[in-house]
Amino acid sequence: MNVLSIRNLSKSFGQQQIIKDLNMSVPEGSVFGFIGQNGAGKTTTMKMVLGLLQPDQGEILVCNEPVRFGQTKTNQYIGYLPDVPEFYNYMTAMQYLTLCGEIVGLPKESISQKGKKLLSLVGLDGVEKRVGGYSRGMKQRLGIAQALLADPKLLICDEPTSALDPVGRKEILDILYKIRGTTTVLFSTHILSDVERICDHVALLNDGNIAVGGTLSEIKALHSHDSLLIEFSTEADLQHFKECMTGQSLLNGSEEKGREIVIHSREMKKAQHTIFSTLAEADLVPVKVELMEPSLESLFLEVIK
Amino acid sequence: MKGYIAFVKKEFVENLKNYRFLILFAIFAVFGMSSAFLAKFTPEIIAAFGAGLEITEEPVALDAWQQFFKNISGIGFSAFIILFGSCMSSEYSKGTLLLLVTKGLARPSVIMAKYTVAAVSMTVSFWVSFVGAYGYTYYLWPDASLSNVVPSAFFMWMIGFLYLSILILGCVLFKQTFTSILFTGGIVALFSVLSVVKPLSAFNPVVLTSRNVDLISGEISMTEFLIPFIVSVVLSVVFLAAAIRAFNKKQL
Repeated sequence: MNVLSIRNLSKSFGQQQIIKDLNMSVPEGSVFGFIGQNGAGKTTTMKMVLGLLQPDQGEILVCNEPVRFGQTKTNQYIGYLPDVPEFYNYMTAMQYLTLCGEIVGLPKESISQKGKKLLSLVGLDGVEKRVGGYSRGMKQRLGIAQALLADPKLLICDEPTSALDPVGRKEILDILYKIRGTTTVLFSTHILSDVERICDHVALLNDGNIAVGGTLSEIKALHSHDSLLIEFSTEADLQHFKECMTGQSLLNGSEEKGREIVIHSREMKKAQHTIFSTLAEADLVPVKVELMEPSLESLFLEVIK
Repeated sequence: MKGYIAFVKKEFVENLKNYRFLILFAIFAVFGMSSAFLAKFTPEIIAAFGAGLEITEEPVALDAWQQFFKNISGIGFSAFIILFGSCMSSEYSKGTLLLLVTKGLARPSVIMAKYTVAAVSMTVSFWVSFVGAYGYTYYLWPDASLSNVVPSAFFMWMIGFLYLSILILGCVLFKQTFTSILFTGGIVALFSVLSVVKPLSAFNPVVLTSRNVDLISGEISMTEFLIPFIVSVVLSVVFLAAAIRAFNKKQL
Protein backbone atom coordinates (compact mmCIF):
# COMPACT_ATOMS: atom_id res chain seq x y z
CA MET A 1 0.00 0.00 0.00
CA ASN A 2 1.11 3.53 -0.68
CA VAL A 3 0.90 6.02 2.14
CA LEU A 4 1.27 8.88 -0.29
CA SER A 5 0.40 9.03 -3.97
CA ILE A 6 0.88 12.04 -6.14
CA ARG A 7 -0.61 12.11 -9.62
CA ASN A 8 0.00 14.62 -12.39
CA LEU A 9 0.81 17.40 -9.98
CA SER A 10 1.65 20.84 -11.36
CA LYS A 11 2.36 24.15 -9.70
CA SER A 12 3.53 27.51 -10.99
CA PHE A 13 4.50 30.67 -9.22
CA GLY A 14 3.78 33.47 -11.64
CA GLN A 15 5.50 32.63 -14.91
CA GLN A 16 7.76 30.05 -13.38
CA GLN A 17 6.59 26.47 -13.41
CA ILE A 18 8.11 24.70 -10.45
CA ILE A 19 6.37 21.33 -10.58
CA LYS A 20 5.49 19.79 -13.95
CA ASP A 21 3.26 16.77 -14.07
CA LEU A 22 4.82 15.09 -11.06
CA ASN A 23 3.99 11.47 -10.28
CA MET A 24 5.28 9.79 -7.19
CA SER A 25 4.26 7.25 -4.58
CA VAL A 26 5.66 6.47 -1.19
CA PRO A 27 5.17 2.84 -0.10
CA GLU A 28 4.23 2.09 3.48
CA GLY A 29 7.12 1.42 5.81
CA SER A 30 9.79 2.95 3.62
CA VAL A 31 12.32 5.65 4.36
CA PHE A 32 11.92 7.72 1.26
CA GLY A 33 14.64 10.11 0.20
CA PHE A 34 13.36 13.02 -1.85
CA ILE A 35 16.38 14.52 -3.51
CA GLY A 36 16.79 17.64 -5.52
CA GLN A 37 18.82 20.79 -5.89
CA ASN A 38 17.98 23.91 -3.96
CA GLY A 39 14.92 25.40 -5.62
CA ALA A 40 13.97 22.15 -7.36
CA GLY A 41 10.52 22.22 -5.74
CA LYS A 42 10.90 19.81 -2.83
CA THR A 43 9.39 22.13 -0.25
CA THR A 44 6.66 23.20 -2.67
CA THR A 45 5.67 19.57 -3.20
CA MET A 46 5.65 18.90 0.53
CA LYS A 47 3.57 21.96 1.25
CA MET A 48 1.01 20.81 -1.31
CA VAL A 49 0.90 17.41 0.39
CA LEU A 50 0.17 19.21 3.66
CA GLY A 51 -2.60 21.31 2.11
CA LEU A 52 -0.63 24.50 2.69
CA LEU A 53 -0.34 25.36 -0.98
CA GLN A 54 -2.92 25.07 -3.70
CA PRO A 55 -1.79 22.89 -6.62
CA ASP A 56 -2.62 24.14 -10.13
CA GLN A 57 -3.39 20.63 -11.26
CA GLY A 58 -3.25 17.05 -10.13
CA GLU A 59 -4.24 14.92 -7.21
CA ILE A 60 -2.61 14.05 -3.93
CA LEU A 61 -3.77 11.10 -1.84
CA VAL A 62 -2.65 10.54 1.73
CA CYS A 63 -3.73 7.12 3.00
CA ASN A 64 -6.13 7.03 0.06
CA GLU A 65 -7.83 10.27 1.07
CA PRO A 66 -7.56 13.32 -1.18
CA VAL A 67 -5.74 16.37 0.19
CA ARG A 68 -7.68 19.65 0.06
CA PHE A 69 -6.02 23.03 0.25
CA GLY A 70 -6.71 24.89 3.50
CA GLN A 71 -8.23 21.79 5.11
CA THR A 72 -6.56 19.71 7.72
CA LYS A 73 -8.32 16.37 7.51
CA THR A 74 -5.53 14.39 5.85
CA ASN A 75 -2.99 16.01 8.16
CA GLN A 76 -4.10 13.69 10.94
CA TYR A 77 -2.04 10.98 9.20
CA ILE A 78 0.98 13.19 8.80
CA GLY A 79 3.69 14.39 11.12
CA TYR A 80 5.52 17.38 9.68
CA LEU A 81 8.94 18.72 10.43
CA PRO A 82 9.78 21.93 8.53
CA ASP A 83 13.39 22.83 7.76
CA VAL A 84 13.49 25.39 10.56
CA PRO A 85 10.71 24.54 13.01
CA GLU A 86 9.51 27.44 15.16
CA PHE A 87 7.89 27.14 18.56
CA TYR A 88 6.57 29.51 21.19
CA ASN A 89 9.64 30.73 23.00
CA TYR A 90 8.03 30.98 26.40
CA MET A 91 7.11 27.29 26.52
CA THR A 92 9.15 24.31 27.64
CA ALA A 93 9.37 21.24 25.40
CA MET A 94 6.79 19.40 27.48
CA GLN A 95 4.40 22.37 27.46
CA TYR A 96 4.65 22.53 23.69
CA LEU A 97 3.99 18.82 23.32
CA THR A 98 1.00 19.22 25.64
CA LEU A 99 -0.41 21.97 23.41
CA CYS A 100 0.08 19.74 20.37
CA GLY A 101 -1.49 16.78 22.14
CA GLU A 102 -4.53 18.82 23.10
CA ILE A 103 -4.94 20.03 19.53
CA VAL A 104 -4.76 16.48 18.24
CA GLY A 105 -7.21 15.43 20.95
CA LEU A 106 -5.09 12.96 22.88
CA PRO A 107 -6.22 12.20 26.43
CA LYS A 108 -4.25 13.93 29.18
CA GLU A 109 -2.49 10.85 30.51
CA SER A 110 -1.43 9.67 27.12
CA ILE A 111 0.01 13.13 26.35
CA SER A 112 2.29 13.06 29.36
CA GLN A 113 3.23 9.43 28.79
CA LYS A 114 3.99 9.86 25.11
CA GLY A 115 5.58 13.22 25.68
CA LYS A 116 8.10 11.69 28.07
CA LYS A 117 8.78 8.80 25.72
CA LEU A 118 9.35 11.05 22.72
CA LEU A 119 11.51 13.51 24.62
CA SER A 120 13.72 10.67 25.67
CA LEU A 121 13.79 9.36 22.07
CA VAL A 122 15.05 12.73 20.84
CA GLY A 123 17.31 13.26 23.83
CA LEU A 124 15.48 16.22 25.35
CA ASP A 125 14.34 14.53 28.54
CA GLY A 126 15.24 16.47 31.62
CA VAL A 127 15.73 19.71 29.66
CA GLU A 128 13.70 22.23 31.63
CA LYS A 129 14.69 25.43 29.88
CA ARG A 130 12.36 27.27 27.57
CA VAL A 131 12.42 26.75 23.83
CA GLY A 132 13.68 30.33 23.42
CA GLY A 133 17.06 29.18 24.69
CA TYR A 134 17.35 26.12 22.44
CA SER A 135 20.02 25.59 19.81
CA ARG A 136 18.98 24.77 16.25
CA GLY A 137 19.72 21.10 16.74
CA MET A 138 17.57 21.00 19.87
CA LYS A 139 14.72 22.72 18.05
CA GLN A 140 15.02 20.19 15.26
CA ARG A 141 14.85 17.36 17.77
CA LEU A 142 11.81 18.87 19.45
CA GLY A 143 10.40 19.20 15.94
CA ILE A 144 10.72 15.46 15.45
CA ALA A 145 9.10 14.81 18.83
CA GLN A 146 6.08 16.96 18.01
CA ALA A 147 5.80 15.41 14.57
CA LEU A 148 5.67 11.91 16.04
CA LEU A 149 3.26 12.76 18.85
CA ALA A 150 0.10 11.61 17.13
CA ASP A 151 1.61 8.37 15.81
CA PRO A 152 1.51 9.55 12.21
CA LYS A 153 1.48 7.10 9.33
CA LEU A 154 3.75 9.40 7.40
CA LEU A 155 6.50 11.62 8.74
CA ILE A 156 7.46 14.42 6.37
CA CYS A 157 10.81 16.03 7.07
CA ASP A 158 11.85 19.00 5.00
CA GLU A 159 15.63 19.12 4.89
CA PRO A 160 15.93 18.17 8.54
CA THR A 161 19.70 18.12 8.52
CA SER A 162 20.61 21.01 6.22
CA ALA A 163 21.07 23.65 8.87
CA LEU A 164 22.88 21.49 11.39
CA ASP A 165 26.46 20.83 12.34
CA PRO A 166 27.84 17.27 11.88
CA VAL A 167 26.92 16.22 15.42
CA GLY A 168 23.39 17.55 15.09
CA ARG A 169 23.06 15.85 11.71
CA LYS A 170 24.14 12.54 13.04
CA GLU A 171 21.67 12.82 15.92
CA ILE A 172 18.75 13.55 13.61
CA LEU A 173 19.67 10.73 11.23
CA ASP A 174 20.00 8.33 14.14
CA ILE A 175 16.52 9.27 15.37
CA LEU A 176 15.04 8.83 11.90
CA TYR A 177 16.82 5.51 11.62
CA LYS A 178 15.36 4.41 14.95
CA ILE A 179 11.77 5.04 13.91
CA ARG A 180 11.98 3.25 10.57
CA GLY A 181 9.62 0.32 10.46
CA THR A 182 7.02 2.00 12.66
CA THR A 183 6.54 5.14 10.60
CA THR A 184 6.95 5.83 6.92
CA VAL A 185 9.40 8.66 6.46
CA LEU A 186 9.51 11.07 3.53
CA PHE A 187 12.65 13.05 3.82
CA SER A 188 13.81 15.77 1.49
CA THR A 189 17.43 16.74 1.21
CA HIS A 190 20.26 17.67 -1.05
CA ILE A 191 22.81 15.93 1.16
CA LEU A 192 23.31 12.64 -0.64
CA SER A 193 25.33 10.89 2.01
CA ASP A 194 22.37 11.26 4.38
CA VAL A 195 20.17 9.51 1.85
CA GLU A 196 22.63 6.70 1.35
CA ARG A 197 22.81 6.26 5.08
CA ILE A 198 19.17 5.82 5.96
CA CYS A 199 16.89 5.69 2.91
CA ASP A 200 15.67 2.60 1.11
CA HIS A 201 13.65 4.42 -1.56
CA VAL A 202 14.75 7.42 -3.53
CA ALA A 203 13.19 9.89 -5.92
CA LEU A 204 15.25 12.49 -7.67
CA LEU A 205 13.41 15.68 -8.49
CA ASN A 206 14.77 17.58 -11.42
CA ASP A 207 13.14 20.14 -13.66
CA GLY A 208 9.78 19.75 -11.92
CA ASN A 209 9.34 16.01 -12.10
CA ILE A 210 10.90 12.77 -10.96
CA ALA A 211 13.96 12.12 -13.09
CA VAL A 212 14.84 8.87 -11.34
CA GLY A 213 12.90 6.88 -8.79
CA GLY A 214 12.83 3.48 -7.10
CA THR A 215 14.63 1.57 -4.40
CA LEU A 216 18.15 2.68 -3.71
CA SER A 217 19.71 -0.55 -4.97
CA GLU A 218 17.59 -0.59 -8.14
CA ILE A 219 18.58 2.91 -8.99
CA LYS A 220 22.22 2.28 -8.42
CA ALA A 221 22.08 -0.83 -10.58
CA LEU A 222 20.10 0.75 -13.37
CA HIS A 223 21.37 4.19 -13.69
CA SER A 224 25.01 4.25 -13.16
CA HIS A 225 28.10 2.54 -14.48
CA ASP A 226 30.68 0.89 -12.37
CA SER A 227 34.01 2.54 -12.65
CA LEU A 228 37.60 1.47 -12.30
CA LEU A 229 40.28 3.90 -11.24
CA ILE A 230 43.86 3.13 -12.23
CA GLU A 231 46.76 5.22 -11.05
CA PHE A 232 50.23 4.91 -12.60
CA SER A 233 53.51 6.02 -11.19
CA THR A 234 54.30 8.24 -14.18
CA GLU A 235 52.31 9.96 -16.92
CA ALA A 236 54.42 8.09 -19.48
CA ASP A 237 53.10 4.79 -18.11
CA LEU A 238 49.59 6.09 -18.50
CA GLN A 239 50.22 7.06 -22.12
CA HIS A 240 51.76 3.66 -22.78
CA PHE A 241 48.73 1.95 -21.29
CA LYS A 242 46.42 4.02 -23.50
CA GLU A 243 48.42 3.09 -26.58
CA CYS A 244 48.10 -0.58 -25.72
CA MET A 245 44.38 -0.15 -25.28
CA THR A 246 43.75 1.57 -28.62
CA GLY A 247 41.07 -0.15 -30.56
CA GLN A 248 39.23 -1.15 -27.37
CA SER A 249 35.88 0.50 -26.77
CA LEU A 250 36.64 0.58 -23.05
CA LEU A 251 38.43 3.90 -23.26
CA ASN A 252 35.36 5.63 -24.63
CA GLY A 253 34.07 8.03 -22.02
CA SER A 254 36.99 7.50 -19.70
CA GLU A 255 38.29 10.40 -17.65
CA GLU A 256 41.91 11.35 -17.21
CA LYS A 257 43.46 13.41 -14.48
CA GLY A 258 47.22 13.59 -14.08
CA ARG A 259 48.47 10.04 -13.59
CA GLU A 260 44.99 8.67 -13.07
CA ILE A 261 42.44 7.27 -15.45
CA VAL A 262 38.84 6.33 -14.64
CA ILE A 263 37.24 3.76 -16.91
CA HIS A 264 33.48 3.21 -16.97
CA SER A 265 31.79 0.01 -17.98
CA ARG A 266 28.48 -1.74 -17.50
CA GLU A 267 30.25 -5.14 -17.45
CA MET A 268 33.01 -4.53 -15.04
CA LYS A 269 34.16 -8.12 -14.70
CA LYS A 270 34.83 -8.49 -18.40
CA ALA A 271 36.43 -5.09 -18.55
CA GLN A 272 38.76 -5.95 -15.68
CA HIS A 273 39.92 -9.11 -17.50
CA THR A 274 40.81 -7.08 -20.55
CA ILE A 275 42.51 -4.36 -18.56
CA PHE A 276 44.58 -6.66 -16.37
CA SER A 277 45.76 -8.77 -19.32
CA THR A 278 46.70 -5.60 -21.19
CA LEU A 279 48.64 -4.40 -18.14
CA ALA A 280 50.44 -7.74 -17.86
CA GLU A 281 51.30 -7.87 -21.55
CA ALA A 282 52.63 -4.32 -21.51
CA ASP A 283 54.52 -5.05 -18.27
CA LEU A 284 52.86 -2.11 -16.57
CA VAL A 285 52.41 -2.01 -12.78
CA PRO A 286 49.93 0.59 -11.61
CA VAL A 287 50.33 2.04 -8.10
CA LYS A 288 46.64 1.86 -7.41
CA VAL A 289 43.64 0.06 -8.84
CA GLU A 290 40.29 0.83 -7.29
CA LEU A 291 36.83 -0.42 -8.13
CA MET A 292 34.47 2.52 -7.66
CA GLU A 293 30.88 1.74 -6.62
CA PRO A 294 28.24 3.84 -8.27
CA SER A 295 27.43 6.65 -5.88
CA LEU A 296 24.28 8.69 -5.65
CA GLU A 297 26.43 11.67 -6.27
CA SER A 298 27.55 10.48 -9.67
CA LEU A 299 23.96 9.58 -10.46
CA PHE A 300 22.75 12.96 -9.28
CA LEU A 301 25.28 14.78 -11.38
CA GLU A 302 24.45 12.57 -14.35
CA VAL A 303 20.74 13.34 -14.08
CA ILE A 304 20.91 17.09 -13.56
CA LYS A 305 23.34 17.56 -16.46
CA MET B 1 -13.62 22.21 19.32
CA LYS B 2 -10.69 20.52 21.08
CA GLY B 3 -8.29 22.54 18.96
CA TYR B 4 -10.17 25.72 19.81
CA ILE B 5 -9.98 25.06 23.55
CA ALA B 6 -6.31 24.16 23.40
CA PHE B 7 -5.54 27.30 21.41
CA VAL B 8 -7.60 29.51 23.74
CA LYS B 9 -5.52 28.22 26.65
CA LYS B 10 -2.33 28.92 24.74
CA GLU B 11 -3.53 32.45 23.93
CA PHE B 12 -4.39 33.19 27.57
CA VAL B 13 -0.98 32.06 28.74
CA GLU B 14 0.70 34.03 25.97
CA ASN B 15 -1.18 37.24 26.74
CA LEU B 16 -0.27 36.93 30.40
CA LYS B 17 3.38 36.16 29.66
CA ASN B 18 3.89 39.00 27.21
CA TYR B 19 2.09 41.44 29.55
CA ARG B 20 -0.47 42.34 26.91
CA PHE B 21 -3.32 41.68 29.30
CA LEU B 22 -1.66 43.46 32.19
CA ILE B 23 -0.95 46.58 30.14
CA LEU B 24 -4.47 46.70 28.75
CA PHE B 25 -5.95 46.21 32.19
CA ALA B 26 -3.75 48.91 33.69
CA ILE B 27 -4.58 51.45 30.99
CA PHE B 28 -8.31 50.88 31.31
CA ALA B 29 -8.16 50.95 35.09
CA VAL B 30 -6.07 54.10 35.30
CA PHE B 31 -7.96 56.08 32.69
CA GLY B 32 -11.35 54.84 33.82
CA MET B 33 -10.88 55.64 37.45
CA SER B 34 -9.04 58.88 36.96
CA SER B 35 -11.96 60.29 35.02
CA ALA B 36 -13.97 61.17 38.12
CA PHE B 37 -10.90 62.58 39.79
CA LEU B 38 -10.01 64.71 36.77
CA ALA B 39 -13.55 66.01 36.40
CA LYS B 40 -13.68 66.99 40.02
CA PHE B 41 -10.34 68.67 40.32
CA THR B 42 -9.67 70.10 36.85
CA PRO B 43 -11.15 73.49 37.78
CA GLU B 44 -8.91 73.68 40.80
CA ILE B 45 -5.87 72.56 38.86
CA ILE B 46 -6.53 75.19 36.21
CA ALA B 47 -7.10 77.82 38.85
CA ALA B 48 -3.81 76.93 40.49
CA PHE B 49 -1.84 77.28 37.29
CA GLY B 50 -3.63 79.78 35.11
CA ALA B 51 -3.46 83.24 36.68
CA GLY B 52 -6.75 85.06 36.33
CA LEU B 53 -8.62 82.09 34.87
CA GLU B 54 -11.59 81.11 36.90
CA ILE B 55 -14.11 78.41 36.23
CA THR B 56 -17.39 79.43 37.63
CA GLU B 57 -19.33 76.24 37.13
CA GLU B 58 -19.03 73.56 39.76
CA PRO B 59 -18.21 70.15 38.18
CA VAL B 60 -20.97 67.55 38.37
CA ALA B 61 -21.16 63.77 38.08
CA LEU B 62 -22.07 64.05 34.41
CA ASP B 63 -18.67 65.66 33.78
CA ALA B 64 -17.04 62.61 35.31
CA TRP B 65 -18.91 60.31 32.92
CA GLN B 66 -18.07 62.55 29.99
CA GLN B 67 -14.43 62.19 30.92
CA PHE B 68 -14.81 58.41 31.32
CA PHE B 69 -16.33 57.85 27.87
CA LYS B 70 -13.79 60.16 26.28
CA ASN B 71 -10.91 58.30 27.92
CA ILE B 72 -12.15 54.83 27.12
CA SER B 73 -13.23 55.49 23.53
CA GLY B 74 -10.03 57.35 22.81
CA ILE B 75 -7.14 56.02 24.85
CA GLY B 76 -8.61 52.71 26.02
CA PHE B 77 -9.68 51.35 22.67
CA SER B 78 -6.60 52.73 20.90
CA ALA B 79 -4.44 50.82 23.35
CA PHE B 80 -6.57 47.74 22.79
CA ILE B 81 -6.11 47.92 19.02
CA ILE B 82 -2.40 48.63 19.24
CA LEU B 83 -1.76 45.84 21.75
CA PHE B 84 -3.67 43.19 19.84
CA GLY B 85 -2.53 44.44 16.42
CA SER B 86 0.41 42.08 16.64
CA CYS B 87 -1.62 39.01 17.53
CA MET B 88 -1.25 37.44 14.07
CA SER B 89 1.84 39.15 12.68
CA SER B 90 4.15 37.57 15.24
CA GLU B 91 2.77 34.14 14.34
CA TYR B 92 3.21 34.83 10.63
CA SER B 93 6.73 36.17 10.87
CA LYS B 94 7.93 33.29 13.06
CA GLY B 95 5.94 30.59 11.30
CA THR B 96 4.66 29.16 14.56
CA LEU B 97 1.17 28.47 13.23
CA LEU B 98 2.50 26.20 10.51
CA LEU B 99 3.20 23.29 12.85
CA LEU B 100 -0.11 23.54 14.64
CA VAL B 101 -2.17 23.82 11.48
CA THR B 102 -0.42 20.81 10.00
CA LYS B 103 -1.27 19.01 13.24
CA GLY B 104 -4.92 19.34 12.35
CA LEU B 105 -5.75 22.59 14.15
CA ALA B 106 -8.71 23.94 12.15
CA ARG B 107 -8.01 27.39 10.79
CA PRO B 108 -11.29 28.94 12.00
CA SER B 109 -10.33 27.81 15.52
CA VAL B 110 -7.21 29.96 15.34
CA ILE B 111 -9.23 33.07 14.54
CA MET B 112 -12.01 32.29 16.99
CA ALA B 113 -9.53 31.60 19.81
CA LYS B 114 -7.67 34.86 19.16
CA TYR B 115 -10.97 36.72 19.04
CA THR B 116 -12.21 35.11 22.24
CA VAL B 117 -9.13 35.89 24.26
CA ALA B 118 -8.89 39.48 23.02
CA ALA B 119 -12.62 40.00 23.66
CA VAL B 120 -12.38 38.58 27.18
CA SER B 121 -9.35 40.76 27.95
CA MET B 122 -11.19 43.83 26.70
CA THR B 123 -14.38 42.92 28.57
CA VAL B 124 -12.68 42.36 31.90
CA SER B 125 -10.61 45.55 31.53
CA PHE B 126 -13.62 47.58 30.47
CA TRP B 127 -16.00 46.52 33.22
CA VAL B 128 -13.44 46.69 35.98
CA SER B 129 -12.66 50.19 34.78
CA PHE B 130 -16.37 50.99 34.72
CA VAL B 131 -16.97 49.70 38.24
CA GLY B 132 -14.02 51.76 39.44
CA ALA B 133 -15.32 54.88 37.73
CA TYR B 134 -18.80 54.24 39.06
CA GLY B 135 -17.60 53.83 42.62
CA TYR B 136 -15.39 56.87 42.51
CA THR B 137 -18.07 59.04 40.94
CA TYR B 138 -20.53 57.94 43.58
CA TYR B 139 -17.98 58.74 46.29
CA LEU B 140 -17.37 62.26 44.99
CA TRP B 141 -20.99 63.05 44.13
CA PRO B 142 -23.10 60.88 46.41
CA ASP B 143 -26.25 62.88 45.74
CA ALA B 144 -26.13 62.74 41.95
CA SER B 145 -28.92 60.69 40.46
CA LEU B 146 -28.19 59.75 36.89
CA SER B 147 -30.08 57.22 34.85
CA ASN B 148 -28.91 54.97 32.01
CA VAL B 149 -25.28 54.92 33.10
CA VAL B 150 -25.03 51.14 32.73
CA PRO B 151 -26.76 50.94 29.30
CA SER B 152 -24.57 53.78 28.13
CA ALA B 153 -21.47 51.81 29.13
CA PHE B 154 -22.95 48.67 27.60
CA PHE B 155 -23.13 50.35 24.18
CA MET B 156 -19.56 51.55 24.48
CA TRP B 157 -18.50 48.01 25.37
CA MET B 158 -20.28 46.63 22.29
CA ILE B 159 -18.31 48.87 19.94
CA GLY B 160 -15.19 47.17 21.29
CA PHE B 161 -16.32 43.96 19.59
CA LEU B 162 -16.73 45.76 16.28
CA TYR B 163 -13.23 47.26 16.57
CA LEU B 164 -11.87 43.82 17.37
CA SER B 165 -13.57 42.19 14.36
CA ILE B 166 -12.12 44.84 12.06
CA LEU B 167 -8.71 44.43 13.66
CA ILE B 168 -8.73 40.65 13.27
CA LEU B 169 -9.61 41.01 9.59
CA GLY B 170 -6.75 43.48 9.22
CA CYS B 171 -4.40 41.09 11.01
CA VAL B 172 -5.36 38.25 8.69
CA LEU B 173 -5.04 40.33 5.54
CA PHE B 174 -1.75 42.03 6.33
CA LYS B 175 1.46 40.51 7.53
CA GLN B 176 2.65 43.58 9.39
CA THR B 177 1.30 44.88 12.67
CA PHE B 178 1.44 48.47 11.53
CA THR B 179 -0.67 47.82 8.44
CA SER B 180 -3.28 45.94 10.44
CA ILE B 181 -3.61 48.82 12.90
CA LEU B 182 -3.73 51.32 10.06
CA PHE B 183 -6.46 49.28 8.39
CA THR B 184 -8.54 49.30 11.60
CA GLY B 185 -7.94 53.00 12.15
CA GLY B 186 -8.91 53.70 8.54
CA ILE B 187 -12.21 51.89 8.78
CA VAL B 188 -13.07 53.48 12.12
CA ALA B 189 -12.22 56.87 10.66
CA LEU B 190 -14.47 56.08 7.70
CA PHE B 191 -17.35 55.46 10.11
CA SER B 192 -16.69 58.83 11.72
CA VAL B 193 -16.67 60.59 8.36
CA LEU B 194 -19.89 58.86 7.37
CA SER B 195 -21.55 60.00 10.58
CA VAL B 196 -21.64 63.50 9.12
CA VAL B 197 -23.85 62.30 6.30
CA LYS B 198 -27.32 62.95 7.64
CA PRO B 199 -29.48 60.10 6.34
CA LEU B 200 -26.86 57.54 7.36
CA SER B 201 -25.95 58.95 10.75
CA ALA B 202 -28.91 57.31 12.50
CA PHE B 203 -27.54 53.86 11.49
CA ASN B 204 -23.91 54.57 12.14
CA PRO B 205 -22.26 52.52 14.93
CA VAL B 206 -20.31 55.65 15.87
CA VAL B 207 -23.41 56.68 17.81
CA LEU B 208 -22.54 53.97 20.35
CA THR B 209 -19.35 55.75 21.36
CA SER B 210 -20.21 59.38 20.72
CA ARG B 211 -23.58 59.96 22.35
CA ASN B 212 -23.23 58.04 25.61
CA VAL B 213 -23.27 61.17 27.71
CA ASP B 214 -26.37 62.44 25.90
CA LEU B 215 -28.08 59.20 26.88
CA ILE B 216 -27.21 59.75 30.54
CA SER B 217 -28.24 63.39 30.49
CA GLY B 218 -31.52 62.41 28.90
CA GLU B 219 -30.91 64.42 25.73
CA ILE B 220 -31.60 61.37 23.58
CA SER B 221 -33.51 58.21 24.31
CA MET B 222 -32.38 54.62 24.28
CA THR B 223 -34.33 53.88 21.08
CA GLU B 224 -31.87 55.98 19.10
CA PHE B 225 -29.15 53.51 20.05
CA LEU B 226 -31.10 50.51 18.90
CA ILE B 227 -30.38 50.62 15.15
CA PRO B 228 -26.68 51.54 15.47
CA PHE B 229 -26.39 48.73 18.01
CA ILE B 230 -27.89 46.19 15.62
CA VAL B 231 -25.75 47.51 12.78
CA SER B 232 -22.69 47.20 14.99
CA VAL B 233 -23.43 43.60 15.94
CA VAL B 234 -24.13 42.65 12.33
CA LEU B 235 -20.94 44.33 11.13
CA SER B 236 -18.92 42.60 13.88
CA VAL B 237 -20.16 39.24 12.68
CA VAL B 238 -19.56 40.14 9.03
CA PHE B 239 -15.99 41.31 9.65
CA LEU B 240 -15.22 38.26 11.75
CA ALA B 241 -16.66 35.93 9.11
CA ALA B 242 -14.60 37.72 6.47
CA ALA B 243 -11.50 37.23 8.61
CA ILE B 244 -12.17 33.49 8.92
CA ARG B 245 -12.76 33.21 5.20
CA ALA B 246 -9.62 35.10 4.35
CA PHE B 247 -7.58 33.04 6.80
CA ASN B 248 -8.80 29.78 5.25
CA LYS B 249 -7.14 30.86 2.00
CA LYS B 250 -4.06 32.37 3.57
CA GLN B 251 -0.68 30.87 2.82
CA LEU B 252 1.22 30.29 6.03
